[in-house]
Amino acid sequence: MLDTLLFLVADGVTNGAVYGLLALSLIVIYTVTRVVNIAQGEYVTLGALSFASALSGAFSVLSAIVAAGLAAFALRDVAERRLTGAMRIRIVLSRALWILIVLATAWLANLLPGSYWLAVLASLVATASLGTLIYRLTVEPVSGASPIVLLIVSVGVYMVLHGTAVVIWGAEPRSVPPVVEGGVELGPVFVTYQSLFICASSLVAMIALYLFSERTLTGQALQATAVNRTGAQLCGIPVGVAGQLSFAIGAGFSALSGLLLAPLITANYDMGLPIGLKGFVAAALGGIVEYPTAMVGVLLVGLTESFSAFQVSAYRDVVVYLMVIPILLWRNAVRPPETHGH
Amino acid sequence: MRTTTKRGFIALGVSTLLAAASIAFPGSSPAVAQDKPELRIAAIIAVTGPASALGAPERNAVELFDKTWSSRTDLPFKIKVISYDDGSDPTKSVSLTRKAIEEDKAHVVVCCTTTPGSMAIIDTVSAAKITMISMASSATIVEPASARPFTFKTPTSDKLKLQRTLDYMKRQGIKKIGFFGLEDAYGEGGLKELQNVTKDGAIELVATERFARQDTNFTPQALRLKQAGLDAVYVHAIPPSADLAHEALKRVGYTGPIYHGAGSSINAFVDIGKANVEGAIVGVGALNVYDQIKKDNPLRPVLAKFAELYDSTYGKGKVDLFAGQSWDAMMLAVDAYQRATASGAKVDDLAATRVAIKDAMERTKEWPGVNGVFNLTQTDHLGLDKRSTFLSQIKGGKFVLIEE
Repeated sequence: MLDTLLFLVADGVTNGAVYGLLALSLIVIYTVTRVVNIAQGEYVTLGALSFASALSGAFSVLSAIVAAGLAAFALRDVAERRLTGAMRIRIVLSRALWILIVLATAWLANLLPGSYWLAVLASLVATASLGTLIYRLTVEPVSGASPIVLLIVSVGVYMVLHGTAVVIWGAEPRSVPPVVEGGVELGPVFVTYQSLFICASSLVAMIALYLFSERTLTGQALQATAVNRTGAQLCGIPVGVAGQLSFAIGAGFSALSGLLLAPLITANYDMGLPIGLKGFVAAALGGIVEYPTAMVGVLLVGLTESFSAFQVSAYRDVVVYLMVIPILLWRNAVRPPETHGH
Repeated sequence: MRTTTKRGFIALGVSTLLAAASIAFPGSSPAVAQDKPELRIAAIIAVTGPASALGAPERNAVELFDKTWSSRTDLPFKIKVISYDDGSDPTKSVSLTRKAIEEDKAHVVVCCTTTPGSMAIIDTVSAAKITMISMASSATIVEPASARPFTFKTPTSDKLKLQRTLDYMKRQGIKKIGFFGLEDAYGEGGLKELQNVTKDGAIELVATERFARQDTNFTPQALRLKQAGLDAVYVHAIPPSADLAHEALKRVGYTGPIYHGAGSSINAFVDIGKANVEGAIVGVGALNVYDQIKKDNPLRPVLAKFAELYDSTYGKGKVDLFAGQSWDAMMLAVDAYQRATASGAKVDDLAATRVAIKDAMERTKEWPGVNGVFNLTQTDHLGLDKRSTFLSQIKGGKFVLIEE
């Protein structure tokens, strides 16, 4: 009986770590831009698939698309009439560097097939950059619109990204090797190194995000935008850039969770949505604004999923998604909507 | 950029107009003006959408058929293949079937990749009195034949496969088994059949655990199965879920035999699972083990020929079950048309030819296809028997036939 318990806890925590990255992504994006991002799970898919193709030595198509998109926006920025010559040069240089990084990582991964870390880098850079593109393309033109408009926009983005993944990589699942083969016997439970790696990476990513937002000026600016958008704007914080940054962080974190998870469940075009939704359930516990509560939420979701799959396998998803109702009731009780600062 | 798009639109508009014109004046279509009669087969396949993994090899086989048969001049008739993609969407299957019947004047409709699609078009083909040959697995597509007189299918049924697997289990002394399968229509169908074939009580189904295609964790259910004290586990899923379920069972320390249904009998199962699925016992079609079955088996020459043809076009070892399903459908249609015309069907009369093809289909006897030996009658529109199923074990990354 104890074995079973340990197994379930180990798997629940591993999945919780994955959902944790998703919940963080959702919160970063929601607080800064007010987008309830339904498309979040698609970054998981794109991260996993571009990682798989980079690892197999193919030049990631996603990187090429992203580079083209960045170039297009760079042209638009440079064409802006109010700019001085020096600013134009600065924009051109910075964008060129950015595009170069996206292409160089993809090219290096292509040059050295099978190099794990290069593939990780290529995938993360491409997906995070895609996040900024999606922001500029879909959110910026309607910034300031009501959350429901932004939500519907994100549904559209979901459909486009979902279809794009099928077009680029096809419907067949791809198997991805873990960072280290094998695992370790923890008492009666066999835990793969990949599971431990997932938990560790997740933790590191969360700490990094915390340090970034507490200790750096950019992070502070992001926080300020999250707390009060207009106020931040009045203080001279470029909220558009903050939005791009939040989308980059969100997409990058989700891509990370995707490429971490891929060795356990294979990378396929269909993997993202349920992961995104479960991250959403966890984030809902924190009202999609509070990081610590959301972290409790992800453990809750991971463990509930694991235990309900053991008890009533046919209804495990029902149980997990049903959790939203008590969560919302609870949130309403402890913190009625009218007291929200925003 | 803009001008190219504009030009694209104009081209599109012109071609649409031309297409519309050719439909409006069927007399002007060159196909009718030929001396030889023409057999028109519409192949509606799920090349995109959720079932694309099955649809892609099916489309390949249809293209292969088109290439090898449409150019033949030695036949007393011509063959025209009309290909459509229904995107795994049953609604689209129906509208494309209508299009094939009314605009393309097809004689036979080969459709569909999935069971829902096949079920959806039954009414349409029955009303038009045109033969449809499905490539989907469920037996309910063709049963009862009296209510679905124009519906046939090529893949062997889950029932036949399960019977084969259970017979083998019995001989291995297995008494208690558990079911570990998908919770979608495919898994549900497998579970129902398993419950049917275990009714005789020789083997008891004591545990049922389910999972979804997109699940990230299979361990809890695997633990449950392990604790049920089973002699064997039967996994009814498609890769990658089938692989993940298999791995989860091993991970929790389950050491008994693991059987797999037909969903795992494709190369992707081994490609994804690699060493982890060694030893799995998989119910397969003849195509998976075509080079291992006995030389005197009537299927062997047909299989070898198809596998060689397919592999020479799409790469060595690429041939799989689903390619064979559309291939058989096309070949059955040709065979039935040939016999229908030989027995004096009027090829100028489309409606009469369609019915004659169906009648000829029902007189198919001992016809060796890639899926097995077909014996179609008025009451049996599947026509396959035990000879269509084989058991194999994964050894060294290959499907190795279990000799019985």
